[in-house]
Amino acid sequence: MFKYLLAKNEDIPEGSAAVFFGFSSIIWFVIGTGLGSFNAAKLAFPDFVTGDMYFAFGHMRQVHVMAVIFGWISMAFAMAMMYITPILGNNKLWSEKLGLWNCLLWNAGLLLALTLLWAGVSSGREYSDFPWPIDLYLATCVFIPLAVNVWMTILNRKTQGIYTTNWFFAAATFMVIIVFLVGNSPEFFHLTGLTEAYLTWWFAHNVLGLWITPVAAAIAYYTIPKITGNPLYSHRIGHLHFWSVVVFYSTPAAHHLMSAPLPEWLKSFASVEGVLILVPAIAFVSNIMLTMKGKWYMFVENVEVRFTITGCLMAIPLNMQGGFQQTRAINWYIHGTGWIVAHAHLALLGFSTFLEAAAVYLGLQTLLKRKLYSLTLANMHFWLLLIGFTTYWVSMTIAGLIQGAGKIYEVPYIDVVIAEHPYMIARWLGGTLVFFGNTLWLYNMWMTARKGSVVPQGRMPHELQYER
Amino acid sequence: MSWNFEKPLVTLCDAATNEEDKKLWEKEDLGGITEDNNRMPMPVVLLVVLTVLTAFAVTFPLWGQRPTAELYAGFVKAMDTPEVKAIQNDDEAMKKIVQMNKGGGIMGGRSADDMIDRHPLSMNDLRIIKPQIETLMSSGVDLGEYTVVGDRVVLANFEGNLKADGTHERKQPWWDKGYTIDIFYLSYFFIMVILLIKRLPPSTWQPRHNNH
Repeated sequence: MFKYLLAKNEDIPEGSAAVFFGFSSIIWFVIGTGLGSFNAAKLAFPDFVTGDMYFAFGHMRQVHVMAVIFGWISMAFAMAMMYITPILGNNKLWSEKLGLWNCLLWNAGLLLALTLLWAGVSSGREYSDFPWPIDLYLATCVFIPLAVNVWMTILNRKTQGIYTTNWFFAAATFMVIIVFLVGNSPEFFHLTGLTEAYLTWWFAHNVLGLWITPVAAAIAYYTIPKITGNPLYSHRIGHLHFWSVVVFYSTPAAHHLMSAPLPEWLKSFASVEGVLILVPAIAFVSNIMLTMKGKWYMFVENVEVRFTITGCLMAIPLNMQGGFQQTRAINWYIHGTGWIVAHAHLALLGFSTFLEAAAVYLGLQTLLKRKLYSLTLANMHFWLLLIGFTTYWVSMTIAGLIQGAGKIYEVPYIDVVIAEHPYMIARWLGGTLVFFGNTLWLYNMWMTARKGSVVPQGRMPHELQYER
Repeated sequence: MSWNFEKPLVTLCDAATNEEDKKLWEKEDLGGITEDNNRMPMPVVLLVVLTVLTAFAVTFPLWGQRPTAELYAGFVKAMDTPEVKAIQNDDEAMKKIVQMNKGGGIMGGRSADDMIDRHPLSMNDLRIIKPQIETLMSSGVDLGEYTVVGDRVVLANFEGNLKADGTHERKQPWWDKGYTIDIFYLSYFFIMVILLIKRLPPSTWQPRHNNH
């Protein structure tokens, strides 16, 4: 990577930035889920690693969360954008050099940011935990260069139209900058009270709603038609999906604060918008499922399709939960419990991770022009991820319902802790399976780069999966 | 940009624009990806309509509300009756108070009995809030505007319409301006998306990708 940083743009091999982003994302996924497994062990076994504040849960929880969001998920997005955006415009990435610098500054900045968080230097606000200089760094050295590269690639496209995936990429790279700068304004301008609370949750909601959700969906709009060879079922439904994400996801921040003394009309407004996140979900899932028509055998045979469709299917429970758990009728029961932790993992480790993993599998094989080193390892990765995630999600959902009952019926706290214990062990087991699966994935992709058989010109790697 | 309003539910473009769009749609290769022009299936349309209706119905503030001082006013009065005073056991006394206060009344548009079931409290809780509710009762304020939050009885944080005396209504109605804003917001959204989609060639036309 370093030898290209000062090279001329035209001397840098096509796809270099995407490949480095792809491997960076997998490495951060291993680190992030490793930290998650460690943290879960501390909840399952309270005597595990005690006596050192740096290994205390309070120091490590946010390191895990931020490593996964800004390391794994966001770098996998960057990889997908740098790989898919030029393909859809029949051109090259606007600047491989900017992409490589972007990747370097992203990794260096994230490493610094997580080290600071680990040391306890934190804004203290969930999801926007980074101190403000790091927020400014991430906006200027991570998201703005990414947006410039994506936008310039789209503006310099050799097609007249813009495919659905690139609408989402362009909009999301713009929106995430706004989310970062406005959502962190309580820290930039020392805003306090309800303004701070509202903006903190506006940030947290929209990092999910205007960054992770649309980009993950955009990836599926590429991978499914590309691999199956089917046309996208409906350009029209794509419009409904895109605009409903922009309109309905940007407004419900107040639904995270249903018990706070915000104006009630704002909560009513946000709560309706919160249920309406089901509209983009319905559009997305129906469009992808109908695109699969006649190619369902690929759900069994093809790793990338299996990952993508599993991620799409997870959008159904994700949005059913997300839409309804914020209403006054349900929120009073599950607010502040493990149910929410389960839901957050359904969004990040379920829905979006499965879609991104497909993009990284497909992208790395295509860019490296190498066939996957081991289909068996890829299948093991899929099942470890799915079983591990499901174990985590189900156990935490049950634990959340127990906590909710304990909260409402004023059960002594220690009794709730005891009742939850088996589920905390299941949580740790599930998380550890995911971590183990990811180490296999890293090995598999590393070996693909080193020893994967070369894909002949004009063929797609997935076409060769069952050929020896 | 030319508009054609002859068949607004089919297309809003004139024939020439539609023909240009169709040619481009079939000719253009977006990195090997193609798109069809299928309409949204009717079950999906119905699901979207159902979602919009449900979004309003399920979020009306009829559930998960804090109890008001009005709900416990009868409890406070009952505490001083000879029947309740005669009961030594707190749990039994509370059962008696609940029994005395149930009777199918309506409070704030909802069944008072349901509200009592939904917000149980102990005699100790009641002893803590009793003097606060008595103070409010003696001052003649509307008890429905005060909510019980833990061990405190406070003016509800809801700020509704202005009253004649210049203060705000503190009772939460089943409908507020948040829902009115939602109606306008949703209407604008669906009008704009329908306009956008109807600018495409009619859904009866499907592109032929790669000449097949």
